[in-house]
Amino acid sequence: MIPLELYILLASTMFTIGLYGLFTQKNGVKLMMCIELLLNSANINLVAFSAYQPNVNGQVFALFSIALAAAEAGVGFAILIALYRLYGTIDLDNINAMRW
Amino acid sequence: MYADYAYLIVALPVLAFLLCLFVGWHLPRGGGFLTVLATFAGLILSLGIFSEIYPDKIIHQSMPWFANFNVGILIDPLALVMLLMVTFVVTLIHIYANGYMNGDPGAARYFAEAALFTASMLGLIFADNLLQLFIFWELVGLCSYLLIGFWYRKPSAAAAAKKAFLTTRVGDVLFLAGIILLYNNLANLNLALKPGEYLLQFPVIYANLAQIAPDQLTLIALGLLGGAVGKSGQFPLHVWLPDAMEGPTTVSAMIHAATMVTAGVYLVARMFPLFYAAPYGLTAVIAVGAFTALFAATMGLTSFDIKRVLAFSTVSQLGFMMAGLGSGAAVGTLAVGVAIFHLIGHSFFKALLFLGAGSIIHAVNTNDLREMGGVGKYMKWTMYTMLIGSLSLAGFPYFTGFFSKDEVILIAYEYGALINMLPYIFLVLAAVLTAIYTFRMWFSVFTGKERSNYAKHESPWIMLGPLVILAVFAFGFGLAAQDDFYKYLDSNFEHYDLDFVELGVIGGHALEGEHGAPAVEGEQGAAAAEAGHGAAAEGEASEGEAGGEEGPGEPWYIQILPIFIALGGILIAGLFYWDRVKKFDPSQVTGDKDPIRKLLLKGYYQHEIMTGWFAETVVYGTALICNTIDIKLVDGWLNWLSALVLGFAQHVRKVQTGIVQNYVTALVLGVVVLVVVITLAKEVGLV
Repeated sequence: MIPLELYILLASTMFTIGLYGLFTQKNGVKLMMCIELLLNSANINLVAFSAYQPNVNGQVFALFSIALAAAEAGVGFAILIALYRLYGTIDLDNINAMRW
Repeated sequence: MYADYAYLIVALPVLAFLLCLFVGWHLPRGGGFLTVLATFAGLILSLGIFSEIYPDKIIHQSMPWFANFNVGILIDPLALVMLLMVTFVVTLIHIYANGYMNGDPGAARYFAEAALFTASMLGLIFADNLLQLFIFWELVGLCSYLLIGFWYRKPSAAAAAKKAFLTTRVGDVLFLAGIILLYNNLANLNLALKPGEYLLQFPVIYANLAQIAPDQLTLIALGLLGGAVGKSGQFPLHVWLPDAMEGPTTVSAMIHAATMVTAGVYLVARMFPLFYAAPYGLTAVIAVGAFTALFAATMGLTSFDIKRVLAFSTVSQLGFMMAGLGSGAAVGTLAVGVAIFHLIGHSFFKALLFLGAGSIIHAVNTNDLREMGGVGKYMKWTMYTMLIGSLSLAGFPYFTGFFSKDEVILIAYEYGALINMLPYIFLVLAAVLTAIYTFRMWFSVFTGKERSNYAKHESPWIMLGPLVILAVFAFGFGLAAQDDFYKYLDSNFEHYDLDFVELGVIGGHALEGEHGAPAVEGEQGAAAAEAGHGAAAEGEASEGEAGGEEGPGEPWYIQILPIFIALGGILIAGLFYWDRVKKFDPSQVTGDKDPIRKLLLKGYYQHEIMTGWFAETVVYGTALICNTIDIKLVDGWLNWLSALVLGFAQHVRKVQTGIVQNYVTALVLGVVVLVVVITLAKEVGLV
């Protein structure tokens, strides 16, 4: 059996990549992808802990989380499409109407 | 049975108000028939209640409202006679208004407001507590504002409405202060109230009056009197009443006869035990009343506008009622009966006179006495009904006004005999002037030559009908009802837990009068005095014979004096203004230079003093100072505070950059800081 540490290492690597992307990327779609990375790293943790506990709760929560991520992606892309229609770009640096 | 539906007396006019307001313009004549029907139903109900509770029962219904207050209906003799009078007179006025307002584009609005006006007055009358009375009191004020300014496009009407509203507001503030003071004093007594009893209910007030400190009672009485002075147009808050003529004549008739100015007198009558118990309470009432009676009568003498003559006459007659109530210091509860009797009689003949004046104005199209003359040839019905009204107002023997007004003068004489003669002298002079100005008006309108080219036709029967009915009452009511009326109203306060002896001691009325010393012997004494008065009234009725019999109180010459007052006044008016017997011309007696004439024509310079000096200098100056303080100090520090917050926000708002990465950074940093803080706290052992 693969040791738990490796799962945690994978999850934290994914989380860090996602976070780095969030900080650095300006394209809206890339940002969405980074958020997916964050969510899925959490899912890996949930499933891994659940398999080692052993307790099925974690896997159920992972399913919830996937459903949530799907919904989030739907809403997010809808917003991005609307933004594109309005501004002709999804470069988030140019979309800053909601500031002071 | 009728008593269970007493609330309908108010509810139906409110319903008529809503219907006229929202669907009135779809109905013929603006839905005026609804208002008439609602008021008429109120009259039927009142009559039903009268048949149920006369002569010795009262109706008291009440339900909780909020906190220490309730809503309720209290119909005792005082309220009942007022209900009957208001519903009766107002029904006739509404019928008349159906003719008078016919064709006016605002007729629906008129009838809606008139219905609300009626409802408010009726609600005021049968309120069982002061708070409810005050609410309806204010509604009456609001409706009077709306109706006086009915033709609001006319600047003078709008101004008059504002004046009426603001002037009565002065009184209302005092009234409210009185109520609050009374409530506080009652609350401080820590009364053990039974379920269903509330502090401001009249029975509770009556029962606990004697426990309130006398100086507080005086303050409360003066506050309530202030309200009554404002509403009933007594000096110095009478200024709005003559200007209130700007509304339609039917509104004037309602205000003057039934629905507004009588509220002040009713309030004093309703709170009579309080005034009686308060040292100087009744003194203030009689002083205000007697002075107003004479003051307004002199102004009525010099007005050329027919409606203004009647308005000043109302002010003067209200002064009589107030003086009558004030005489209660000498004659006890009898004063309530006398004053309310004059109120009711007055409402009949004053409604008649106003509606008659409306009929004339409707036909002639002018208010100015100088442009009329000889109208009687064309308007026979109006002339004779108004003659009856005028005779009644002047106090011609056997007419209603003769019994009611002269009874006021008689009890003022008793007040004089015991305390101070001045009010009596004022009232007698005012009564002479009443006869003079009434017949000055009547002669100038109906007799003589036509002084201008006016339209010559009689008014329609929908307007004349109410005149005729009112004329019957203006003539016969006094003769028919006087003695029973006094007895009935004298029983009013017997329904409550009241001891007039005790109250009289507090109020300093422990008097030793010639007849029965009513205050000292309480109810018995009052009854004795009442009986004495019945005899006195009969003595008067049989004119000269009274001289031999010697009434119990007044010498014979005092008793027959009123007859000469009326006849003399009418004679004087005739000598000046009736062309058949004319002996003098007014201009012979007083020239243009005459200072008294000038003073009267200028209305005692009231406009100059009140508007020119008081309003424009004192009030405006004070307002300017307050304005400066308000802007510089009150607004100043508030503006400074808001500028401070705004300036701070100018800097803080820059945080919102609108760039997603910045928000993410903040979010992550926040989480990191939280984690670090919590970890550290665990290390240290805080959590």
